[in-house]
This record gives sequence, C-alpha cells and structure tokens, in this order.
Amino acid sequence: MAGAVSALFLLDIKGRVLIWRDYRGDVSAVQAERFFTKLIEKEVDPESHDPVVHDNGVSYLFIQHNNVYLMTASRQNCNAASLLFFLHRIVDVFKHYFEELEEESLRDNFVVVYELLDEMMDFGYPQYTEAKILSEFIKTDAYRMEVTQRPPMAVTNAVSWRSEGIRYKKNEVFLDVVESVNILVNSNGQIIRSDVVGALKMRTYLSGMPECKLGLNDRVLLEAQGRATKGKAIDLEDIKFHQCVRLARFENDRTISFVPPDGAFDLMTYRLSTQVKPLIWVEAQIERHSKSRIEILVKARSQFKERSTATNVEIEVPVLSDATNPEVRTSLGSAAYAPESDALIWKIRSFPGGKEYMLRAEFRLPSITAEEATPERKAPIRVKFEIPYFTVSGIQVRYLKIIEKSGYQALPWVRYITMAGEYELRLI
Amino acid sequence: MAPPPQSQRSSSPSQPSGKGEVADVKSQLRNLAGSRAPGVDDSKRELFKKVISYMTIGIDVSSVFGEMVMCSATSDIVLKKMCYLYVGNYAKVNPDLALLTINFLQRDCKDADPMIRGLALRSLCSLRVANLVEYLVGPLGAGLKDNNSYVRMIAVMGVLKLYHISASTCVDADFPAMLKHLLLNDRDTQVVANCLSALQEIWSLEGSTSEEVSREREILLSKPVIYYLLNRIREFSEWAQCLVLELVGKYVPADSSEIFDVMNLLEDRLQHANGAVVLATTKVFLQLTLSMTDVHQQVYERIKAPLLTLVSSGSPEQSYAVLSHLHLLVTRAPFIFSSDYKHFYCQYNEPSYVKKLKLEMLTAVANESNTYEIVTELCEYAANVDIPIARESIRAVGKIALQQYDVNAIVDRLLQFLEMEKDYVTAEALVLVKDLLRKYPQWSHDCIAVVGNISSKNVQEPKAKAALIWMLGEYSQEMQDAPYILESLIENWEDEHSAEVRLHLLTAVMKCFFKRPPETQKSLGAALAAGLADFHQDVHDRALFYYRLLQYDMSTAEQVVNPPKQAVSVFADTQSSEIKDRIFDEFNSLSVVYQQPSYMFTYKEHRGPFEFSDEIGNLSIGTESADTVAQAHRVEANDKDLLLSTSEKEETRGLNNNSSAYSAPSYDVSSVPVPTSQMSELAISNPSVPGNAPQSGFAIDDLLGLGLPAAPAPAPSPPPLKLNPKAVLDPTTFQQKWRQLPISLSQEYSITPEGVAALTTPQALLRHMQGQAIHCIASGGQSPNFKFFFFAQKAEESSTFLVECIVNTSSAKAQIKIKADDQSATQPFSSVFQSALSKFGMP
Repeated sequence: MAGAVSALFLLDIKGRVLIWRDYRGDVSAVQAERFFTKLIEKEVDPESHDPVVHDNGVSYLFIQHNNVYLMTASRQNCNAASLLFFLHRIVDVFKHYFEELEEESLRDNFVVVYELLDEMMDFGYPQYTEAKILSEFIKTDAYRMEVTQRPPMAVTNAVSWRSEGIRYKKNEVFLDVVESVNILVNSNGQIIRSDVVGALKMRTYLSGMPECKLGLNDRVLLEAQGRATKGKAIDLEDIKFHQCVRLARFENDRTISFVPPDGAFDLMTYRLSTQVKPLIWVEAQIERHSKSRIEILVKARSQFKERSTATNVEIEVPVLSDATNPEVRTSLGSAAYAPESDALIWKIRSFPGGKEYMLRAEFRLPSITAEEATPERKAPIRVKFEIPYFTVSGIQVRYLKIIEKSGYQALPWVRYITMAGEYELRLI
Repeated sequence: MAPPPQSQRSSSPSQPSGKGEVADVKSQLRNLAGSRAPGVDDSKRELFKKVISYMTIGIDVSSVFGEMVMCSATSDIVLKKMCYLYVGNYAKVNPDLALLTINFLQRDCKDADPMIRGLALRSLCSLRVANLVEYLVGPLGAGLKDNNSYVRMIAVMGVLKLYHISASTCVDADFPAMLKHLLLNDRDTQVVANCLSALQEIWSLEGSTSEEVSREREILLSKPVIYYLLNRIREFSEWAQCLVLELVGKYVPADSSEIFDVMNLLEDRLQHANGAVVLATTKVFLQLTLSMTDVHQQVYERIKAPLLTLVSSGSPEQSYAVLSHLHLLVTRAPFIFSSDYKHFYCQYNEPSYVKKLKLEMLTAVANESNTYEIVTELCEYAANVDIPIARESIRAVGKIALQQYDVNAIVDRLLQFLEMEKDYVTAEALVLVKDLLRKYPQWSHDCIAVVGNISSKNVQEPKAKAALIWMLGEYSQEMQDAPYILESLIENWEDEHSAEVRLHLLTAVMKCFFKRPPETQKSLGAALAAGLADFHQDVHDRALFYYRLLQYDMSTAEQVVNPPKQAVSVFADTQSSEIKDRIFDEFNSLSVVYQQPSYMFTYKEHRGPFEFSDEIGNLSIGTESADTVAQAHRVEANDKDLLLSTSEKEETRGLNNNSSAYSAPSYDVSSVPVPTSQMSELAISNPSVPGNAPQSGFAIDDLLGLGLPAAPAPAPSPPPLKLNPKAVLDPTTFQQKWRQLPISLSQEYSITPEGVAALTTPQALLRHMQGQAIHCIASGGQSPNFKFFFFAQKAEESSTFLVECIVNTSSAKAQIKIKADDQSATQPFSSVFQSALSKFGMP
C-alpha cells in the first residue's frame, strides 16, 4: 500500500509548529514538535541530519526552506521518495502564492495556507499540486475576490496543466537553453568526473490552447529522417520532459509536441556524461615564506573560443581560517577576502575566451598556533561563471512552431547559456 | 439565511472564557450573526480570521463555537472555509457542539455552487465523531453521484474517512461497490485515483474477515482493471500515476509477451520530470521481470541513467531518497554501477547524509577494475575537515579491502593512515588493520612493523584500543615491546573505563604469556589479580576462567588461548537475505530508507482500525506489514527456537522439567577455535560443570554461586496446559473474538521438511492439528501459501485461544498470531501449538 500521511507540519527554524494540518488524526502535534525540537537542538548543524527519521512508530520526513521546515508525519510505510518530492512541490506552490516561502509569509497568509493544505492533500493522499490550477480557485487576496469561484475546471479537461480562456495581447514564448557544467578535478590535476546537465526553460505568454512543436538537432531524429547531418548533431542522454509533452509521440518519431502550461516551466532536462574540457581552469600555488607569512598565487585560464566571453566569473580560493591582513593584487577584476567562508573571492565581470589572468595574495598568520589545532581545511577551489550564447553540448533549437486555432502569430525568443554547476578543483 | 432563534443560542454550552480577547470576539460575532447590513461579510472575515489565528497559536477558542456556526449562514466562500476549518478542529473534542454544525453542513452539501458542496462534504466527513455517522451517509451518497468531479473526488475520500470512523456503516451503505463503479467508469482521473486509494485501504482492512472481500480485492489486480488504468495513465496527475504504478507492480502477467507489453507502455514514464514517477516505474519493471533473469539484468541497464540523473540533479533530499534505492539495487546487482562509480564521488558542500550514502555506494560498487580509483578518492576524504565523514571514508576503505582479493595497494593506504597522526584517523585505521589481519594473516609482517610504532598513549577510543591490544597479544612474538606495552597497560588497569578493553587486555596477556613466558609472567599475575577484583561481571568471570584453566593444565590452557587460527574468509553479513528480499518487495517505501522491512517500524497498537490490515495484494507481503514484532523480538524468537529444539519433548510431556529446558552445551572446550570476542560465553558455561573445576586457593565458593546467575536462566516453567479435545466455537463468535482481542503473540516458526512435504492440501494439516486438540475454523490458499484460522480451549475452563497461521511452504516458515482470552496462558499454548506443528508430517 502506498501509505498515507497522517499530518503535515510547517515549523519555524526552532522547530515550533507554525501551522499544521491533521489529516488522519493519529499523530499528535505536541509529540511531533517535541521530537523535532530535540532533533534539531542536538545537531550542531541541522542540515546534516537525514531528512527521514523514525521515532516511536512515526516516520517524519522533512525538508528545510529558508527559515521554515516542512514535515510530514506518518504511521504507515509510505513512499519516502514521493513524499520528499511532494514537500518540494509544496514549496513551489507557496512560492507561487507568496513570492517567497518564509515564516513571515506563512504567518501573514495562514488562511490561504490552510486552504492550500486542504486542497493539496486529502486524508493523507496527494491531490492537486499545480500552482496554476490551484490559483484558479484559491485566491491570495481574499478581499478583492469579486469573481465567482470556479471549481478546478482543469479536472474535467484533457489538459490538466492549462486552463481554457487565457488571453494575451502580445503572444510570446521565451525559451532558454541552460546547461550547467559539473566538474571535479583531483589534486593531481586530473578530471575525475564531469557531466553536463541541461534544461530547456520556457516562459509562455500565449492565448488559447496553443499547440507547440520543437525541433532540436537531435542525432536520432535527424538520422531517422534520412537527413545528412548538416553541421553538428548531438546525442542526448536520459531526457526528461514536463508532463505536457506527448511522450508516446517522442518515443515514436522523436517529435517534441505539447500544449504548454501558462507561464514559466521546465520543458525538458537532459544529461550528457561526455568528458568536457574545463571551461575555466584554475591553478593555485601556496608558498609559506615564514611561520607568519603566506603567499597565494592563482592563475585562471579560459579554455573556450575567443568569440565567447564568460561573465560574472567568481573564483573562490580557500585560505586558512586564521589568516589576517590580506594584500591582494589582480591582473583583472577584483578580489576580496571573505573571512566568514574562509576564502578569497575573485570576481571578474567579463572574462574573454583564450585568456589567462593572475591573482597574487599575501596573508599574515598568527605566529603562535595552538597545540590542539583543528585539522586543516581541505576545501576545493570553486568556480562560478556564465557563458551566454554558448552551449557545451552544441544543442540547437532548429524550430519552435506555435499553432493555435485562432491563427495568431507568436514570437519565439531563444537564448543559450552555459553556467558552472558543481565546479570543484581540489588543487590546494 | 435566517439564523436560528437567538434565544436558543444563548443557552449554548459556551463557558466564560478567561481571555478577554475571546470574549470580545464572541460578543462581536453575536452582533453580526443576524445582520444583513452591507459590508457585514468583511467584518465577519476579520473576526473569523482572528478566531482562526487564535486557534493556530493554540488559544482555546472553542467557546465561540455557537457564534461561529450562527455566522456561517453566508454565501461567502472564504468565510465558509474558515468556518469549516474551525468546526473541523473543535468537533472532535466537543461532540455535542458538532451536532450543531451538522445542520448547516448538510444544507451546504446541497448548495448550487459545486465548490461549496465539495468543501462542506469534506468538512462533514472530517468531523470524526462516531455518533454522527448516520448524517454522513446521505450527503456522501449524493456526493458520489454529483455531476461535478470536484465534489465526487471529495466524496470518494469521504467514504474512506467514514470507513475509519465506522466501518460497518460504510460497508452497509454499499459504498465500496459504488467506489468500484466509479473506479472503472468515471471520466475524471482524480476521482479514479482517489477511488483506488480508498478501495485499496478499505479492502485490505476488510479483507481478512471476509472471503468475498478478498475476491473483490483480487479484481483490482485483474487484467481488465490493470489494463484500463494503464491505458489512461497519461491522463493521471503525477501522484496518481505513482499510485497506479504501485498497483501495477503487484500485477502478475500471464506470460512474457504481456510483460513486454506493459513495459513498452510504461517505458516513457522513465522520462517523467517527477522523480517519484520514475522510481515507481522502476519498481514495476523490477517486479515484473523478477522471474526472467536476462530481462531483469537489462532492466537494471535501462533504469540506470534516469536514476543517476535524479541523484545528481535536484534537491539533496531527492538525492538521498534515490541513493537509498540505488544502494538496495547495487547490493542485488553490484556490477551495474561498477563503471559509473564516479557519480558517487562526494561534492564538497553536499550535506553529510548524502555523503554517507555515497560512501556506501562506493563501497558497494568497488570491484577489481575500479578499486584503485575509488580508494584514491576515499583517501582524499579521509583528510577531510568533516570528521564523521573522514571516519566513514576510512571504514569504507576497510570494507573494500575485506571484499577484495588484491589488497596490496589498500594495505599500503591503510598504513599511511596510521602515519597521519590524527587521533581519529589512527583509531579507525587500527580497527581496520585488525580485521584485515584476521582475513589476510599474510600481511602481518608489514602491518605489525607500523603498528608497533604507535604509542598506546595516543589511542584513547575503546574500539581502537581493543584492536591494538588484540594485535599486541596475537603478534607478541613479532613485536619486540609487546610484553612491556601490555605491562604498562595493566599497571593502569584502574584508569581503563571500558570493559571491552579490559577483556581484551586479559586475553592478550594470556596469549603473550604462552609465547614469551618469562617476560610476561609478572604482568599475567597482575592482570589476573586485577581481573578477579574487577567489578564488571564479564571481566571478573574471564579472569577467573583463565586462572582455573592455568591451574588445571597448562597445555590445555595454551590450546584454548592460542589455538591454530584459520583466516576468516567471509565476515558475516548483518542482514539475512530473506530480510533483504523483503525490503526489495517493499521498494519505493520507507523500508528502503531504513533498510528494514516495514514490520520492524510500524507498530500495531497505534493503528486502531488498521488492526486487521493483514494483507495487501498478496499473502507474503501483507502478513509482514501487520507483524508487530520488532527486530529484538525476532531474535528472541529465534533463540527460543534453538533452546526449544533440545527440550521440546519434555515440554510437551508436561513442561515440568526445569533444568532440561536449558541444558548447557557440552562442547569440547579445547577443540573449538573460538574467536576471542566470544570468550566470555565460554567463561559463563564453565561454572555449570563445577565437578571439573579444581578448587583454587581463593575463596571462590561464593564466586561460583555468583557465576551461575549470569547464565541465561531458563524461564520458570509454566503450569502444564491441557486442551479440551472436544472444543467448539461457532464462526461468528470466532470473528467477534478475533476483532476484540489484541494479539498477544506473533511469531514465525520453521516447518520441518517432512511437514512441507505433507502439506499438499490444507486438509492434511487440519486433521493433524485436530489430533492435538487444536481445531480449524477456516482455511484456504494454494501452494506455496496457505492460511489457517485455528482455535483451542483449555480443558478445565472455557478460555479460548485463537490462532492465525500462515504457512509458506517454499520458505518453510509459518507465521503465527495468537489471541487469547487469558493472556498469561499464551506462552504455554504457543509452545504446545509449535510442537504440534513441528510433529506434522512425522510418521
């Protein structure tokens, strides 16, 4: 049996119940609160605790968002993974309603929160969790709600993620192809892991029930069509689509066709595990001149084509926690010591391809060190960047067709961007 | 819209509230109740909001119940919602007040607005007041037939709520049948999904009591229903898809082509954006192909990529949940991820619960081809600032070393750890080196050289210290300083707080004594004296045992302490494969996260109406889920099995013989190579043969007396239990009793092979048990699963025992649940029952 949830709690950062919804009447709020408070008290760092805990016959699953914990309690052997996904979905819904989910926004809107909790789950089973659909019959501003309430029409629709009767003056679609590069380099400078996670993020402002068709330079599709692969075709691994995409159609002829939801959503995600060359390579040398003086030399090199430019580059170099009096010089950008994260952060607004820049920093160290010194930090160098108009995988949108029965012309806007994901070089 | 007359209201049972605010709100509400002035709804909203906010922060506002109900006569939906919320919160504690609300809720259930109909129905069913159920039946019946799907969807859940308040009312109104109709015919998928949740719950709770219901339940798993749901699966919401997939996982297709059809149909679900759907699909694939080895392997290949993506994208909680499942999969098929090990490398800022699981994955996927890379990576973590993770990493290296045949490189690494001179690293590494030496004695030379350099003063953790001492004893020949290090440790005996360390110290000094007598003699004497004076029972006993052993015969003592040792080839797995299989059956649930089958963490006493939820879908899973016994009980049961097997006959004869219930195992002490850690058991069993123990110079007579209670004392034997061979019980009484009585014992027994062979039909066992004065009232099932309900009565009084017995002939196990009028007699009855069962099939 896919077990049902007994109750759902929204707790503050100290584990006190802000709002809770009792679905099945077999757990007590007092007990849950006491348990959870104890749990987060004893942990030095509450984030390091497993998100699933068992206490006295009750399983608690929780996630944290800003200064709020969301937690389910259940006495049955419920589907753990699905509930954790569900909790994240609740966060999305609250964010849709209140802009940001935090203690304040919950306190200000508790009536709506109760309403939402009632509609998202009934007797412990998940129901509607689409923010768009929910917002049709639960309005945030209760006072200005003059329009008569409708029950969720989408229920009777074949298309549960889009309601009928949407109107825009200007019909537009924005499609962002975002790829994030995950890379892990070990202390010998070898790449031990690299992959690319891509997402096609869409924002649609379209009237009516538009039918969309997306063409990519997908090798399988191009070959199936017998087209000589002009230019580059790519192999995508493990593609996942938003529920609006007709998966059967994609399985048959690799066409991506869909009726989009209104507003922002992730149309598709994919992963590539081909080895990629690190787009920005960072090397660091540490010289200890004396017991109390240390010098760090950092070299950053961009390893992509000259016509591209990386923006908002941020290189985080770990330094000893007791370092003081930094003196930093850079050949480009600015660098600052961030003692709160024991790191030197080097920011470069614009980093052209095929270039190398340097940073030199000098720190003072206390000349006396404790006997029982804490073990040395071994944090990696971390890099953040964005490269617009460029994708690592070479994915390209060949076309995006929008057909609606009223026959309007819609404008598709496509953008490409590559970003650093988990980009770690363990070079120090 | 007309509010009820004011006079009646004023006598409402509202107590004067101590809080001024509440009283204030109360009077304001009362003023508004009858008013129809414009803008009155706005003021009501303000007040309602205030009430709800008091309620939320825990102020008791039940005193305004009457006023809230009065004000609920409105067409404003937000007001209604707040009112419903309020009523739902206080109805349970004030059933009298709840009656007040029935009227307006029933009226709202007939409102023209489907929103209001739905919300009212939901609130009505959520009151949870048992004596109001009669008012639910009408609105629920209408709700199920409502032309708006929102209302139907709520009504379906309402049926389930009603069932939990009063099962009989729900069944009598024939609601399950109506749900079944909706399940197969409703246009709206959320209605269908809710029907599915509700029916599964109702039927599984109802199932054990009625044959008819269990047939109904099988219909859920029949081909037409499954296909109907599968064909519509794309229309379902993502959560409902999970529900359907969970059901499909239990479906048993007729042949392999059907299996492929289902998998082809569901293939695209692996591309769903919601990870829950992907995991649910994974489960279907794995379950369907269990019997097809080749395809099962291909399934692993197919699900790999989607699952790995889920791990590396999304929230850490998501990674955690998916990694738990991957870990289960990898223990079943280690090769599948052996080339993807890099996915399990830790990122610097991942939370440690994810890192821990990743380390487990790395340990599990390590094989000849990737060990080097994995161990290199783990060594990087060992130097990590995060100490718990560093420790885990070192342990992981050790585990890999114990799995592998080529440990050359790993041993070097471990030895490097010892030289890192960080206390926690040294501690962990010492424990590992000890285990490693037990498996690969050939490495002793290299290891001992390094271990010898470690100062025992730098090792404080008991486990590490014990490991070091073990090595000192075991390799005292090779380690120059061994006797002297031991000597200094013994000198500080008083400061050693851990009994484990002191036990090891005793053993080590004994070993050392036989290898280097002249250097150790003095320390041995000191250690034995200190041990005998020790307040810890085990330490004391072990010292005494060694002392007598030495007095008895030196060469025998040497054989006991320093027998030729065999290298340990495989360290025992902590979990039986049966438990692992059960966890696998419960894939995609908490069981996987806890690494325990569900019966170990769901307790029955809280279940209330779930008490009879024995089966879900099929016998083997269902019975477990209702099992109350926690792991400890289970072990206890096994122990009992061992004990009983020797004394069974006496027990059935009359259960009188006290001493025979536990006869000390009489093994030959000198010939058994016992690992040191089990020495304490030997020490205990020794005093039970006092004739052999030579008298020592000490005043040990009282010590002997003390030694005995340490042995597991046999339970005082219960009075003999005689059963009435001509007991009678009619089925209705049985059912009634079964419902009323709590389970007093729940156990699993093994069945003899002869018994399994004889159990071709249920009747065979029935006749046999009848011969033992245990009667059957109902039975059923087909090989390999049989289910029986037995009863028995005491000979002299009319105290009855009820038994549910589920036999699985393929695993040769019987699961027994006993309920008894006289709880205290359960234990003897259980023994009688078990012995009767064990004789089944014997000529």
